[in-house]
Amino acid sequence: MSRLTSLSDAARLINDGDHVALSGFSIARNAMALAHELVRRDVRGLTISACILGLEADLLVGAGCVGRVIYGGGSLDRFGQLGRVNEAVERGRIEVEYMSSLAVTFRYLAGSLGLPYIPIRSLLASDLVAPLVAAGVAREDRDPFGGEQVVLLRALEPDAAILHAQVADADGNTRVLGPRWDNDEAVAAAKRVIVLAEEVVEPIEIRRSPELTLVPAFRVTALVHVPFGAHPTAVYRRYDYDAEHLALYADATRSQRTFDEYLARYVRGTDHAGYLAAIGGAAKLATLTADPGLGY
Amino acid sequence: MTTTIESFTTSELMVVAGARELRDGELAFVGLGIPQLAAALAQRTHAPRLVVLNEIGLADPHPVAFGVGNADPRHWYGASFMGSFNDVMGKLLHRGLVDVGFLGALEVDAHGNANATQVPRVTGGIRRFGGGGGANDIASLARSTILIVRHERRKLVERLTHLTNPGFLDGPGARERGGLRGGGPRRVLTDKCVFGVDESTARLVVHSIHPGVTADDLREATGFALDVPKHVATTEPPSAEEIRLIREVIDPERRYTKSL
Repeated sequence: MSRLTSLSDAARLINDGDHVALSGFSIARNAMALAHELVRRDVRGLTISACILGLEADLLVGAGCVGRVIYGGGSLDRFGQLGRVNEAVERGRIEVEYMSSLAVTFRYLAGSLGLPYIPIRSLLASDLVAPLVAAGVAREDRDPFGGEQVVLLRALEPDAAILHAQVADADGNTRVLGPRWDNDEAVAAAKRVIVLAEEVVEPIEIRRSPELTLVPAFRVTALVHVPFGAHPTAVYRRYDYDAEHLALYADATRSQRTFDEYLARYVRGTDHAGYLAAIGGAAKLATLTADPGLGY
Repeated sequence: MTTTIESFTTSELMVVAGARELRDGELAFVGLGIPQLAAALAQRTHAPRLVVLNEIGLADPHPVAFGVGNADPRHWYGASFMGSFNDVMGKLLHRGLVDVGFLGALEVDAHGNANATQVPRVTGGIRRFGGGGGANDIASLARSTILIVRHERRKLVERLTHLTNPGFLDGPGARERGGLRGGGPRRVLTDKCVFGVDESTARLVVHSIHPGVTADDLREATGFALDVPKHVATTEPPSAEEIRLIREVIDPERRYTKSL
């Protein structure tokens, strides 16, 4: 059964108010093409989550799609800060569940196992705990067997997880190459899974090396074939991040006015092909192709 | 090897001082910049079996180019293991197997607690940065930490804006009472000195002062009450070989070691 669909149809699987677990980590493997589509559809009131937020999160927050963020941190690495996320948090414009990145991952892990909560040994005695307790998602307690102090964290079960991957077959069997940060747990915890794949291969290729499959097809709701769908972030063994465009975005996200200009120029009123043309087209993309030996 | 060199930058001295704090065979998280260079230097001198972890989900990389952060594939090159955040931060760190985390901070207090979250704006309100990420997990659970912070009054503070990463909390025994399994800070490295920890008070004490810095300079630049002992060691300057490794092998483009 093919789960291949278009970006716009995949974006319709995300409803206003949904909790969406994002794909990227800072400047790596962000599902930019779907984030762009969600902005074009003017989705509202999303809860977004990730152990480390990346560019896609900043774009969604800046475009007004987000009402709540669950995260441990996030930046554009040395290119700069997530200006729209930080400003929204500073001004109290969005609700925040800020914790350690392992806490986010553990909460997905609990969700992926169908557990209601999970204990963690970090967070204790820090200023991170009280707001989480107040929000009703954490509780300080003791191990009922050994008596040691732990923090109990409520499980996360996102309505949808978005995963940008290198390879999938049309059924939706999906491979991720390189480090996977919190993708494993986020995808397994989610009710619906939307995969963006750089390359769609024949099913026989997946079945030749099934141990490389991260997400089996029956857990995938929709699959979109989107070459360069993570641009300007890096996709290991496919293409490098686009340093020029990241620097441009890092500048744009410093203020809402320049961010809005960025959206108008690159995101709104166009589609993925239009976006790729606007950032420099095939000539630019060719310069980003990864060296197979290096992976970037 | 023991020949000292007359001319070196403060950041080169910090790389060398940091490297000397890392031990052979340790499993370590190291932050971007000076901690990362310190690990690279340690691996090429006294600690060839030092293993670096990246929370993004990999172990023991051997990069051949500088990247911009944990998410840059340049910092993944040559790894022996790639997996998930949970593989590294859960199954190694939370499991209690990580020896040391070498972490930056926005603010550090006299008990080695650190803020990695936000600072007040001069104009009122707060200013957020990239967030702590896994730093609270590392500060809570690693067997020890080394902190690195710029030596300024607004950064070495009496009271933190946000206690993101626990050090020794409010004094001896507080970590244990709070349920923290990791050992807390063993050193705090600045551009003026190296702090150690007084076990009886769980407060930072000057371990060595960098060449050319005076006790008055230290007191002036420190926002918490600081006793500088009369006889305190000078941070050992880099050897000629350490300088050669930094300039020719580890940071030939002088990204992090040019000035300061």
